[in-house]
Amino acid sequence: MTLLQSLKNLVRSKSIHVAYVDVGSCNGCDIEVLACLAPRYDIEQYGIYVHNNPREADVLLVIGAYTPGWEGKLEGLWEKIPDPKVAIAIGNCPISGCLFARPHTLVDPPVSKHIPIAAQVPGCPPRPTEILSAILAVAPTVFEDYEVRKR
Amino acid sequence: MKRTVDVSIPVGPVHPCWKEPARVKCETRGELVLSAEVELGYMKKGIERIMRGRPWQEVMFLAERVCGICSVIHNMVFIEALEHISGIEVPERAALLRVIVNELDRMQSHILANFSYCYTIEHETLGMYLLDTREKVMDELERITGARVTCAYIVPGGVRFDLRSEDALHLRASLDALEQNITRYIGMFEHGPLIALRSRGIGILTRDAAREACAVGPTARASGLAETDRRLMHPTYQKLRFTPVSREEGDNFARIMVRFQEVLQSIALIRTCLDTLPEGPIRGGGIPGAGEIAYSGEAPRGELSYFIKTDAAGRVLEISIQTPSIMNIEACCHYMLKGVASLADVPSTFVSSDPCIACTER
Amino acid sequence: MKEPLYEKDLISMKYAILESRRHDRMVREIAADLGVPQLRMRRYLMDRFDMLLLENLPARYEQGKMMRQDAPEPERQLGAHLYTHAVPLIGEERMAQILTGVKEMVRGGTSMGQAVLSGKDRIRKEIIT
Repeated sequence: MTLLQSLKNLVRSKSIHVAYVDVGSCNGCDIEVLACLAPRYDIEQYGIYVHNNPREADVLLVIGAYTPGWEGKLEGLWEKIPDPKVAIAIGNCPISGCLFARPHTLVDPPVSKHIPIAAQVPGCPPRPTEILSAILAVAPTVFEDYEVRKR
Repeated sequence: MKRTVDVSIPVGPVHPCWKEPARVKCETRGELVLSAEVELGYMKKGIERIMRGRPWQEVMFLAERVCGICSVIHNMVFIEALEHISGIEVPERAALLRVIVNELDRMQSHILANFSYCYTIEHETLGMYLLDTREKVMDELERITGARVTCAYIVPGGVRFDLRSEDALHLRASLDALEQNITRYIGMFEHGPLIALRSRGIGILTRDAAREACAVGPTARASGLAETDRRLMHPTYQKLRFTPVSREEGDNFARIMVRFQEVLQSIALIRTCLDTLPEGPIRGGGIPGAGEIAYSGEAPRGELSYFIKTDAAGRVLEISIQTPSIMNIEACCHYMLKGVASLADVPSTFVSSDPCIACTER
Repeated sequence: MKEPLYEKDLISMKYAILESRRHDRMVREIAADLGVPQLRMRRYLMDRFDMLLLENLPARYEQGKMMRQDAPEPERQLGAHLYTHAVPLIGEERMAQILTGVKEMVRGGTSMGQAVLSGKDRIRKEIIT
C-alpha cells in the first residue's frame, strides 16, 4: 500500500459526509436520523457530517419504501454521488416495505431493486444509536483501499 | 397545469433544509416570488387504499404510520373515533394518561418544528439546544409508552400501560427542567436581533387568507384564529379548562412563538393531569362495532379528521383521513409565499408552517 | 425545446389523489351541481390545479359550501364564491360577468330559476370548452 493510499484511508475514516433521502416513509425514521444530530448522540464527534447534498455525499441513507414519484429520480440521485459511495437502508420500509407492502399499495419495495444497498438497519423506526453504528461500521470498510481494489 | 412563465425556480425535492421531499416551483421576477406551485407524489403510499377492508387491529398500526412525528394523535383520533362508534367508555385515569402522552408528543413535535426553523435560518446554536431538549421529552415518552416513535399506546377502552409512581416523579422533575430551558430559549428567540430580521414581517398570512385556505393549528393561531383549536371540543381538555394561545401578527416569528407558548402550555396541562390523576383501572374494555363517524382531534399541526365506516366485526370499510398539513402547506404555498421579498425566505417560510409531507400525501 | 426538462407527467399521481373517498364524493357533487360529466370534471381539475390544491379541495369545498348558505340570492344558487375562491374552477372576472348577466336577466323579467340555469350553463361551457 502506498503512502498516499494510507493517507486517504485515514482521512476517509474521519470524514464522512451523509445525505439522506426519503422515498416514501412515515417520517418516523427521518426524525430518528435528525435525532442523531442532537448533542446527545452527537454524530459530528465521529467525523460524520449530515449535509443532505448528494453531490458531496459519501453515504446515502435511504428511508422509505420507494413510491412512484421517485421512479428514475432515485437512480439519477445515486449517479450524482461521487465515488466511493455507499447506500444504507434505514428502517423496515426500504428492506421489505414494512406494513405498506400490502394489496392495493402504491409503493414498490425493496429499494435494492433500484440502487445497490450495502447495509440495512431494520426497525420501525431504528434507534439513533443503531443508525449511527451502522454508518460507522459500513463506511470505513467500503472506503478502505478503494483505489487499490478498483484497479 | 401547463403555463409559460418567466423564470420558474424549483426548490427540492432533495433540499438541505427539508426533512422530506417536496418540490416547490417558484415563479419569480428578480428576487420577488410571484407565485408558487407545489408538486407532490414523492411520498404517496396509498395508505387509505391499504386500510380499506382491514380489521381495526391492523388499521390502528397503519393509522399511526400516517405520520411518524405526530403518531400519538393519529392513534388517539382513530381509537376515539372507534370508541364513539361503538359506545365504549374510557376510565378517568386512562383519559388523563392519554392527554399526558398526547401533550408530550405535541411538545416534541413543536420543538422539532422550531429546531427545523432555527436550522433553516442558520441559527444552529438555538437549534441544537432545542434538539437536546427534545431528547429529554422523548425520554419521558419512552418511559411511559415503551417506544420513542410509533408507540401504539392508546387502545380501545383505555391505554396500554399504567403510569408508575416513580415515572410520575421523574416526569415532574424533567418538566421543571424543561420549563426553565424553554423559557430561556423563548427569551433568546424573542430578543435575537438577527432572528427578528429573518422572521418578523416575513411570510405573512392574513386572517382572511387563513380562513380561505382553511389553515389550522399553530399556523392559523398565529393569524389570530384561536377558535380553530379542536382541543376546545374534547371532553377531557374541557375538564382541564384549556384555553388556546393565539397571536395576531401572522408572520414566521408569530408561528414559531405560538409553538413555543404551546410547549409551555402543554407542560402546564401535564402538571394539572398529574395533580388530578385518580387511582383506578386503565382499561375499560369493549368491542368495536358497526357505524360511521367523522371525528376530529387536535394534532400538533392542527385539526386532524378521520372519516370512518366500520362493519359489525370492526373491519374498516371506508376511511378517509384529512391531515392538518394539507391545509397548512396550502396556506403556506399559495398565500404566504406570494410576495415573499427574497428567494432565501422561501425555505424558511415553508419550514415555519411545519410541513409534514408524509401526512399530506399519506 | 418543446418538452420541459426534468418534468414528469403528473396525471397518474393526481388521479391517485382524486381517488380518495372524500375527493370522489366532492367531485360527484360538483359535477352534479354544474351538470358536467364526472370524467370531464376530473380531467379539468387535474389539468388546472396543482397537487397540493387537489389534496386540500374537500376542506375548501366544505368551507365554501357553508359560506354559500349565507350568500344573497343569485350568488347562492350559482355558487359564486364557491367556484371562484374555495374551488377556483373559473376566474373571478368571468364569474363577475356571468353574475351580471344573470342579474340583468332577472331584472328583464326572467324568473330567478331560469336565470340561474342559464348562468350555470355558461359555467358549464367554460369548463367543457
